[in-house]
Amino acid sequence: MKKLHLIYYLSLLAILSQVFVSCNSCNKQGVDVTQDLYVPDSVVEVAPPQVSKAVTEQMMQNISSPVETAALIKGLKIPFNKNFLANTKQAEKFNTNFEKAFALGLYGCDLGYLNMYEKTSFVVDYISTIKRLADDIQVGQFFDFNTLKRLATNNENLDSLILISQQSFNRIDTYLAETNRSMLSAVIVAGVWVEGAYISSRVAQISNHPKIRETIGEQKTVLNFLLALLKVYDKDPSMAKLIADLDRIKKIYDEVKITYEVGEPEMVEENGVLTFKQTDKQVIEMNDELYQRLIKEIQTLRSDLLKL
Amino acid sequence: MKKILFSLLVVLIGVAFFNKAKAQSEEELVQICTMIAGDADYLKDFRIKLDAGDPPPVQRFPVLLKKDVKYRFTVCNSKDYEGKVILQLFDNNRQLATTYIVATGKDYPYIDWVCTKTGAYHLVYSFRDGKAGLAVGLLSMVGTM
Repeated sequence: MKKLHLIYYLSLLAILSQVFVSCNSCNKQGVDVTQDLYVPDSVVEVAPPQVSKAVTEQMMQNISSPVETAALIKGLKIPFNKNFLANTKQAEKFNTNFEKAFALGLYGCDLGYLNMYEKTSFVVDYISTIKRLADDIQVGQFFDFNTLKRLATNNENLDSLILISQQSFNRIDTYLAETNRSMLSAVIVAGVWVEGAYISSRVAQISNHPKIRETIGEQKTVLNFLLALLKVYDKDPSMAKLIADLDRIKKIYDEVKITYEVGEPEMVEENGVLTFKQTDKQVIEMNDELYQRLIKEIQTLRSDLLKL
Repeated sequence: MKKILFSLLVVLIGVAFFNKAKAQSEEELVQICTMIAGDADYLKDFRIKLDAGDPPPVQRFPVLLKKDVKYRFTVCNSKDYEGKVILQLFDNNRQLATTYIVATGKDYPYIDWVCTKTGAYHLVYSFRDGKAGLAVGLLSMVGTM
């Protein structure tokens, strides 16, 4: 009988200790515990994906990054254009968690573009929209709204804007994975990709720079990775529709031919910095007609998904 | 009985606080890594924790890198462990870059990678001589080419 009591107390203690551990981590992240407890059924995955979750979660870590695309565009001296971005008023049209996650990625990409061009006057509007969307899918606690707002309002330390924006999205990604909601992470990534491809397509209409043409063409590689990731969750009806939408573009991309010439990397040390220069060559073949079709289809897809 | 329960409570609370301290240490490493990376724009961090082993255990992270972007890979070791982290960048099975040059025995806190091919790459982290270690790896962007 005493043994039974001991087991009972030990079990109770184990549970209590887990509560302590959980609360510690909650305090660290500034998490509202009540939000953790409330997870709508529609958000939780009913069945775990069949493909290794670890692999898919790692894959999505940087399939699509707003920073690189925006940096490339800015590097080509293409002027900032607010009309390339999604209007934040559109955010009200997104109702389900799936749609909100997609919009979160989309506006996250726009935020990356704004940060890169240091357009802080628009940043507050976008981070407010992102925060609302993030709150709606119970990840708002990981989006460092107050710091971002302070940095943007005071026009201070603009490098930190990029750092904190990126870290916020990475924390959201990690938290979704930890709470078995990786599908929403994948949807966010899809939103980032669609908006990044859209901005590139708009730039392609005003610039003949070969790098923009190449950026559009090499999205074939990125889209293939993205689709592989999304297909893990293709049993979800919303995801199946998104995949079907993206497949429309993939079919066009299948006509783009990408070949590689392999070379040996070169190692150079200058001022104590070791740099490895890749010498592989990437050759993209697509004619003008195909290029224009891709631009048009990317823009149509984005309009459809943005409910314009 | 009360003494046993009290002892267990102390141990369990201790474990809870130890977990908290460990997590903070990783966050600190990310901050240190960010400072070492300098002006490069932060993209992603990777947490590496490996036990001792022979051959040295590794932790892999697939990443998608883009053409015409100069990336910076920074590594930071935890002072609490003996292991010194090594990063190797792979394209399929080909090693392309590393933070540890065997020929010179020199370790670099960061290396730059000029990417000329958009595609999947693998970051492989291990600790020198298979020692146990805790480290953070940072992926950041120096600029476009």
